[in-house]
Amino acid sequence: MDTINKSVKRRSRIYSAEARVAYICLIPAFIGLIFLTYVPLLSVLGISLTNWTGLSAPKFIGFDNYSKLFTSDPYIKDSIIATIYFAALSVAGSMIYSLFIAMLLNRKIPARGFFRAVFYVPYVLPAAAIYVGWSWLYEANFGFFNYLLSEIGLHKVLFIADSSHVVPSLSLISVWLAGNLIVIFLAGLQNVPSVYHEAAQIDGANGWARFRHITLPSMSPIIFYNLLMSLIANLQVVTPALSLTNGGPGNSSRFMTYLMYDQAFVNYKLGYACATTFIIFAILAAFTGVLFKTSKGWIFDEGGDDDK
Amino acid sequence: MSEVAYGRLKSKKRQERTANLITLVVVVFFAVLVLFPIWWIFRTSLMTNAEIYKYPPSLLPADWLFSNYEKTLEIFKFWKYLWNTMIIIVPSCLAGTFTATLCGYAFARLRFRGKKLIWALCVGSMLLPAMVTLIPLYIGWTRGLGLHDSYLPLILPYFCGGGAFNIFLIRQFIVSIPRELDQAATIDGAGYFRILFSIIMPAIRPAMIVVALFIFIGLWNDLLQQMIYINGSDKYTIALGLTNFRGQLKQDWSLTMAATCMSFAPGVLFYVIGQKYFVEGITLTGMKS
Repeated sequence: MDTINKSVKRRSRIYSAEARVAYICLIPAFIGLIFLTYVPLLSVLGISLTNWTGLSAPKFIGFDNYSKLFTSDPYIKDSIIATIYFAALSVAGSMIYSLFIAMLLNRKIPARGFFRAVFYVPYVLPAAAIYVGWSWLYEANFGFFNYLLSEIGLHKVLFIADSSHVVPSLSLISVWLAGNLIVIFLAGLQNVPSVYHEAAQIDGANGWARFRHITLPSMSPIIFYNLLMSLIANLQVVTPALSLTNGGPGNSSRFMTYLMYDQAFVNYKLGYACATTFIIFAILAAFTGVLFKTSKGWIFDEGGDDDK
Repeated sequence: MSEVAYGRLKSKKRQERTANLITLVVVVFFAVLVLFPIWWIFRTSLMTNAEIYKYPPSLLPADWLFSNYEKTLEIFKFWKYLWNTMIIIVPSCLAGTFTATLCGYAFARLRFRGKKLIWALCVGSMLLPAMVTLIPLYIGWTRGLGLHDSYLPLILPYFCGGGAFNIFLIRQFIVSIPRELDQAATIDGAGYFRILFSIIMPAIRPAMIVVALFIFIGLWNDLLQQMIYINGSDKYTIALGLTNFRGQLKQDWSLTMAATCMSFAPGVLFYVIGQKYFVEGITLTGMKS
């Protein structure tokens, strides 16, 4: 009895020493989580109920900002459409492209490491510089793409100066940038046990059947992860509008985050911008929620649980 | 019988070789597509304006006008912008990697009360889009703490855990290291921090380098926050400097492309150095679990 008590006491002393170390380690993250994440998250809601401009003291105006957003805002509808259109094209394009490239790079070809590095390069270039660089490729009269079009006898296209072409043109750039998805897919493909493929091959399954019934199911958690991350990133798109289009032509590239930036930091309508933020957040949450809900149906889980 | 089997094996091998050859051709084709825009930008940066507007355009510049870069440097203060960018990036990378490692260690190895809750808050913030907190943070930094035209709002967040994703990544790495190593060190009388510094940290070096690279890329690509917090042109980063420079020189494409190429260079250099760890790190981070 006595020895048990003693050992319990000693255990708890070890525990508390361990816990103390853990808390010391977690202090920075804890401060960050509270002051950089959760307090600001609640503040967005609070500020969105005021008419704050940053100059005078904020006044509580209830849901006025929201009703204005839904009834009389000239930009919000175009902005939501542009954002979802952009995200749909970019996510679909970059997922297909990067899975395709990853599957090619998973085969035993010479200089694999070199090619892997090549496809990752666009991702390490500063985004602002990429958009400036591509604006030259898209240039109306002397840009490379218009040269190609005229060579094959087509009309010139005003890629980023035409309201119906700007979003697809910008999403082509974000597909080009999808090198990090390739690396993650590649890591996943290397974990697909090759015995399955060999067994299926002996059973006479062709390439497509093996892709459909082995590669896709065993990759599904990674496909989900990439889909989620790429959706969150693309729905928040802002850099092309900031560095290149300023939301134009017309409102065709006035993405939601850019709209928020414009209201808050150009027009100083902080309260109104926070209401916009909350709408963006709701849309993002809805999309991720749907993704999580439907994922249960198609994610193939081997039941590998980690230590948590 | 065995001859038939041998023949089948041989034809299978041949088939595989053809498939790999086709794969290689397709990969080369796509690699050229990916690199082509960068080449086009680079070749433009070495041309005279007359040559840029020539038809049909040529793939190579007639003479390689590296003097364009000298001209660009007179207007585009690249070295200053690079220095400013480094003032933000270097402390952020160091502090972010270090604090993420501390947290990852606590989550991976230590037992303490409230672990599940703090972990949930941490992972939850990974899904929280960055733009949601933008305006309140701006108000907090500038109104609350009076940090106008300062780099601190860009740097200090990295002293606070280095981002949830990075903590997650480090934790995954530490979990994969056998606990026996720690236990052996404990028997030798090492404390928790000693274990962290002399056993865990050396073992997760690739992961720490990957985290540093992720922080680097994050800051590298974040035009929005730099635009909000930095006003004075002497404090511009590369991204701000380039965006502004493009506005100044709307039509001079060769100088604009020279400035673009200069902005590309540090990232490429950084990547070439860290490349090995990058792929290895992401591959090892237990994307599988």
